[in-house]
Amino acid sequence: MSVCVKNRLGILSLLLLGPFLLAVLLPFLWMALGMFKTNTEFFQPLAKAFFPANYDWQNVTELLKGRWVPFWAVLGNSLIVSLGQALGAVALSAMAGYAFARFTFSGKRLLFVLAVALILVPRQLFAVPLFSWVNELGLSDSLFGVMLPGVVTGLGVVYFTQVFRQVPEEYLQAARICGAAEFRVFLTVLPLVWPALLSYGMIHFILAWHEHLIPMLVLTSETKQTLPLALAKLYDVSQRTPQGVQMAASTFAVIPTAALFALCHRKFKSSLSDMLAH
Amino acid sequence: MLAADQRTPGARWTPFFFLLPFLFFLLLFWVIPLIGGVQMSLHANGLGQAEYVGLAHYEALANDERYVTALRNSFVYTLASVVVIVPLALWLAHLLRASFRRLRPVLTFALLLPALTPPSVLAVLFLMVFHGRNGLLNQLFVMPLSFEPVNWLKDPNFILSGLVLQTVWRWTGFMTFFILAGMEGIPRVYYEAARLATGSRWQHFWHVTLPQLRPVLLFVAVYLVVDGFSLFSGAFVLLGGSGGTADAGLLTVTYVFQKMRFFEYGTASAISISLLPLMIFALSGLLFLRRRTA
Repeated sequence: MSVCVKNRLGILSLLLLGPFLLAVLLPFLWMALGMFKTNTEFFQPLAKAFFPANYDWQNVTELLKGRWVPFWAVLGNSLIVSLGQALGAVALSAMAGYAFARFTFSGKRLLFVLAVALILVPRQLFAVPLFSWVNELGLSDSLFGVMLPGVVTGLGVVYFTQVFRQVPEEYLQAARICGAAEFRVFLTVLPLVWPALLSYGMIHFILAWHEHLIPMLVLTSETKQTLPLALAKLYDVSQRTPQGVQMAASTFAVIPTAALFALCHRKFKSSLSDMLAH
Repeated sequence: MLAADQRTPGARWTPFFFLLPFLFFLLLFWVIPLIGGVQMSLHANGLGQAEYVGLAHYEALANDERYVTALRNSFVYTLASVVVIVPLALWLAHLLRASFRRLRPVLTFALLLPALTPPSVLAVLFLMVFHGRNGLLNQLFVMPLSFEPVNWLKDPNFILSGLVLQTVWRWTGFMTFFILAGMEGIPRVYYEAARLATGSRWQHFWHVTLPQLRPVLLFVAVYLVVDGFSLFSGAFVLLGGSGGTADAGLLTVTYVFQKMRFFEYGTASAISISLLPLMIFALSGLLFLRRRTA
């Protein structure tokens, strides 16, 4: 294909992508600009007051100083819960995936089907019995009560099974001949698959960051709340939080996951492409 | 593949050593609550020592018009989202591949921003899009085309379309990303072979790209079905737990949530459990397709 044709194709596709990009980005822009607006400005028709009259940071400082919700505590809780959940899920699923990919044993098929079933039956469906069970375990109003149930994932197991299937057998044999115990073998393989570990960790972190229903049931005290719960409180009409504060909190809730994805984007895509190429 | 259990006699237990942590947490936080859910569905509503009622909740559901509405809405909503999102994402992935190489990561990232946004924030964004007369959708599309402004969240004829629009907006970019990754994984040789056999671009797409993308498309479809039927967030985003006017936007998850809010835990569990056969059906379909792909 000549350069000229390629350029023309590129410009054409950009033009076609334009409306979609606009549809996606416009609401985000509106949200970010919203944090500078007063309530009256906020409720005017969009065409009239899309941009704020002046950029006043008062809403942001009020939020950060914790006037409406204990912002930093909430952010910390969300980070702890999501990070713990992601690390736990990666560890458990990588080990299970290694077993499924590299061994033959009785009951393997059945267990694998169970792992796939996990994807289809998310635990939100059993939120109430899960909640009462977590209470019985003495984990109510504890971050562990949210974190620990979140480490079981069918998607992770299926993903890592696929990942470990692609590690060349010679590599494992070499480690075994050196007399390494099977767990040592597993550990030596890990650096080979680290893009996959990172990718899955990121996805799980994002899912945990978004989780609303289970934290809502388990966490009761104000200082234990995670971000989605704090947001729900800010949005609640009876709290009379200024719209600008709500928009500031919403914007800050998006930034961590967006930044994480932006950082891992490339690794994630190449890891996916590699996996699908086999 | 050489099986490791032929090496040493003790190694027979090695796979279970690797599976143990996963199985432990699976039992603790999945199997036990599931059994608890089944038990709850067989007892009268309320927590604690409730009376055993057998299958009464299930019998009540069979005659419950709202349950049937919720099932039908969920079905339409899920089907519509798959039917709209998959072709749209395929098309967008093609556009991204045709656009400039340097811009591609930025464009992809911008498109999947909604998938990175917490559902509760999405609710706020949607208020702006769907809000009465002043909403973006009415101001930018409906009124310029000289239609009457639609009250998206109140008019029963439009609530379900609004819900579908919400999922499409939320997930299309994310799915585009997966499809794009899949496309980049297709070995170049295949296309070169196809080019030798001539054929149009459309034929290349149909005979090379699509079959190679089957695992990705399968994943995308499964994700959307699970999200449509059993995840709380999608339905909660727009209507905040209500079914909308005349229950036009009542989904199964919303219904479960409503029952829970009034402490009708028995009924809520029965609804959840009644979805299991459906999921098992989807699972067997999935395994069947997987075998055909392999």
